Amino acid sequence: MLKTYVRVVDRFNRGVGRVTMYLIFVMMGILLWSSMSKAFFLPSLWTLEMAQFVMAAYFLLGGAYSLQLDSHVRMDLAYGRWSPRTKAIVDVVTIFMLFIYLFFLLYGGISSTNYAIQYSETSYSSWSPYMAPIKIVMVIGIFLTLLQATSIFIKDLAVALGRPLA
Amino acid sequence: APHVKAQAPIRWRLQTYAGPALAEEVVRPCVDAFNKAANGQMEIELYTADQLVPTGELFRAMQAGTIDAVQSDDDSMNSPVDIKVFGGYFPFASRFGLDVPTLFYQFGLAEIWDQAYSEVGVKWLSAGAWDPCNFSTNKPIKTLEDLKGLRVFTFPTAGKFLTQFGVVPVTIPFEDVQVAMQTGEIDAIAWSGITEMKTSGWEDVTKYFLTNNISGGWCGSFFANADRWNEVPEHLQVLWRACMDSSHFRRLHWYWGGEARLRAGESKLELTTVPDAEWKTVEEKAYEFWEEVAAQSERTAKVVQILKDYQAIMEKAGPPYRNT
Amino acid sequence: MSAELIILFMFSSMLLSMLTGQRVFAVIGFVGVVAAAILWGNGGFELGFSAAMKLMKWYPLLTLPMFIFMGYLLSESGIAEDLYKAFHVWMGGLRGGLAVGTIGLMVIISAMNGLSVAGMAIGATIALPELLKRGYDKTMVTGVIQAGSSLGILVPPSVVLVLYGMIARQPVGQLWLAGAFPGLLLAALFIIYIVIRCRLNPALGPVLPKEERDIPLSEKLKLLRAGILPFLIFFLMMGLFLMGYTSLVESSAVGALSALVVAAVKGRLGNGVLTRTIEQTLGITCMFMWIILAALCFGAVFDGLGAVRAIEGLLVNDWGLSPWTILILMQLSFILMGMFLDDTAMLVIVAPLYIPLVGKLGFDLIWYGVLYTITCQISYMTPPFGYNLFLMRAMAPPEVSLGDIYRSVWPFVIIMMIGLAIIMAFPQIALWLPEHVNVRG
Ligand SMILES: NC(=[NH2+])NCCC[C@H](N)C(=O)O
Ligand code: NA
Ligand code: NA
Repeated sequence: MLKTYVRVVDRFNRGVGRVTMYLIFVMMGILLWSSMSKAFFLPSLWTLEMAQFVMAAYFLLGGAYSLQLDSHVRMDLAYGRWSPRTKAIVDVVTIFMLFIYLFFLLYGGISSTNYAIQYSETSYSSWSPYMAPIKIVMVIGIFLTLLQATSIFIKDLAVALGRPLA
Repeated sequence: APHVKAQAPIRWRLQTYAGPALAEEVVRPCVDAFNKAANGQMEIELYTADQLVPTGELFRAMQAGTIDAVQSDDDSMNSPVDIKVFGGYFPFASRFGLDVPTLFYQFGLAEIWDQAYSEVGVKWLSAGAWDPCNFSTNKPIKTLEDLKGLRVFTFPTAGKFLTQFGVVPVTIPFEDVQVAMQTGEIDAIAWSGITEMKTSGWEDVTKYFLTNNISGGWCGSFFANADRWNEVPEHLQVLWRACMDSSHFRRLHWYWGGEARLRAGESKLELTTVPDAEWKTVEEKAYEFWEEVAAQSERTAKVVQILKDYQAIMEKAGPPYRNT
Repeated sequence: MSAELIILFMFSSMLLSMLTGQRVFAVIGFVGVVAAAILWGNGGFELGFSAAMKLMKWYPLLTLPMFIFMGYLLSESGIAEDLYKAFHVWMGGLRGGLAVGTIGLMVIISAMNGLSVAGMAIGATIALPELLKRGYDKTMVTGVIQAGSSLGILVPPSVVLVLYGMIARQPVGQLWLAGAFPGLLLAALFIIYIVIRCRLNPALGPVLPKEERDIPLSEKLKLLRAGILPFLIFFLMMGLFLMGYTSLVESSAVGALSALVVAAVKGRLGNGVLTRTIEQTLGITCMFMWIILAALCFGAVFDGLGAVRAIEGLLVNDWGLSPWTILILMQLSFILMGMFLDDTAMLVIVAPLYIPLVGKLGFDLIWYGVLYTITCQISYMTPPFGYNLFLMRAMAPPEVSLGDIYRSVWPFVIIMMIGLAIIMAFPQIALWLPEHVNVRG
């Protein structure tokens, strides 16, 4: 049961991450277009803001996969010296900090998205695109990151109990 | 009923849309005065642009209670009300700073604002004027042609209006403007008169100042979260109203005198002017823009009508109200 | 509870929680959101997310993924091998010459990228094995690579200076120019150190065998062509930016594109290299961004508490310290915090507190940006928490032990502190260039 959950979450988030990583080229393209349009035609109104939207999508949708890849630094003064089992035991406890942080992020994200939908919020700019789409993407990213955290929690718990999942 | 313990003061977090240097002039004095006069019963903490929440989120943050009160124009704080376009610099809505309070308190805008904001859970408190809106740039602007292709930091609504002259409006955090001028993210600023160019330090990153403006007086307000406002005992409400008025008063003369003295030679910016006849096209386009906005809702139509009536009276009154 | 106490409490609970080894961003974010909720109730619940909106509007952050991507590509592109060969041949005759050449290589890599990851990757995978093969002392060269690569954030372009510029509201172009000479100064100090130590103890850096150096002059000159590409990339990025053709964020995209083109032309993109690069880019960008996200929330609470006023009151009024004492204390505290904290988190959290104070005390904020950047370089190398330490540990060949890595950094940390002192005493080293080159009208 739990094993399937972990597998599904991991597989799904990996898929999302592998797609998200290509957004780097989208950002690059937008910025290059921006400098070209400035040099050769009228500069575009939307480039900077659009690049910012993509950046937000990039790191929030990539959040889950980066947890999976273990890209996040830790202060390993003591941690680095522990056995995998000890690490897992401590992580099982301290991961609550990650949960709480992500939970608040999600709470704020959902509330902000609701607002964006309710009032058809547009961005504070002359281009003024609707904000709901990007906020929804951000919320999805945070939610997936939270899912990934639960998967990590289960895996750590298994190691801590001495019965690692595969 | 509001209850106040003698010992625990009510605390408000008020965020202004102005940056720190400017805030010292445009809002700090009234906050300090209030805190002193409230004598420990209430304390307002002042935060500047983007300090607690980004400017584009000001309205939402106030509605949600993340902050208690805001000083901003409706456009900048991204209010979810149809009349937000009139905040900040609605093109050619005013000729002088004094037009703004007159429009609000003699021509009926105050009631409209009060109504519009109560529909979205926010208490509109008081409106006042700031400075005119001119262009400051690195290359001189002498004809409308020169505006073409400029990436300009400006207000959303003003920006939309200006696109028809080839301007490319860019919105970034207020505090990033100086740096953005230097990193090339923007080429010009259409955000204020010359007093703020100096106070915000933007004078150091631009060379020219265009004396023609697209509006003679910024229009903005103080707001509060409706629940927070209702919790404030009446005598403190009265006190805060008096302090807001003192703030409007101070800004009126601070800008009025500042614009004149700086233009008359105290600023290091070089002044340029587009001939009146040519600038007239901008003004005419603005009236077309008014019609577009009037078509948006019943309420915007009403505001536009008030602006027109006001305009007519001012013209009829002649100098010193209007010269043309 | 007074504001001072809350501040102290937030800081100490953050540091303590970090000791558990939980992910740094999670710890900072946790303390941030919980403090906001406790202090401000319902109103504080959304501060975490509103930091995301703030981050999104911070446009210079767009340079971050660009520079990271570019850094990884540069290390794959083969530019470094060619350069290294050139240094190898030209410097090999000197005692410790290869180590000196490695510093040269690091300076050039630094001029092409705004971070130190590129230098670390290149140093650990290309230079280090060669140096070890030639009998160089492993402790010394491990330090050389860590110190050399850290120049990536001082020699323009620099991401750290971009972030600093955003918080200090200082022009990025000028900040970058200000980093140029201090960067060269540090490189020179490193070189002097290497030369002196190898002179005293030739076993640390043996001279290359004659046959390796015996190359006809024409060949030797040809090798210098390796410098053309880096120069071109540098020009495309910095030149176009300083001349006003591209904006800051655009120039970082131009840099990324040029690295991509070079790698493609040299046929280095096959075998999944590109996919691996963008995967690493995503990982590192996320690490940065999530830390910034969390720190922005923490910082907003901090700011909301009036931390700035509290500390200023303490230092200036209560203790009556002189401006220079305060400045030195600040640098020491940066170095101390840098042992335990991520530099970006440090910047977002304490800079809003320090920078206005520095300004008020009458110091130049461009110069201070350079001082700050050097303390970041130090913090990358000081155990227990340092990015270059982490990277070195991950990438170094097996014969380099953790102990070697830790031991290797101290001489360079001391040299950097000397460099810091020199630049404090002679601000013109940093300020001359930005004062004399006027970028953007
Ligand atoms: N604040 C950070 N997350 N810094 C990461 C820096 C990593 C590495 N030393 C670099 O400069 O590329
Ligand atoms: Na660099
Ligand atoms: Na460190």
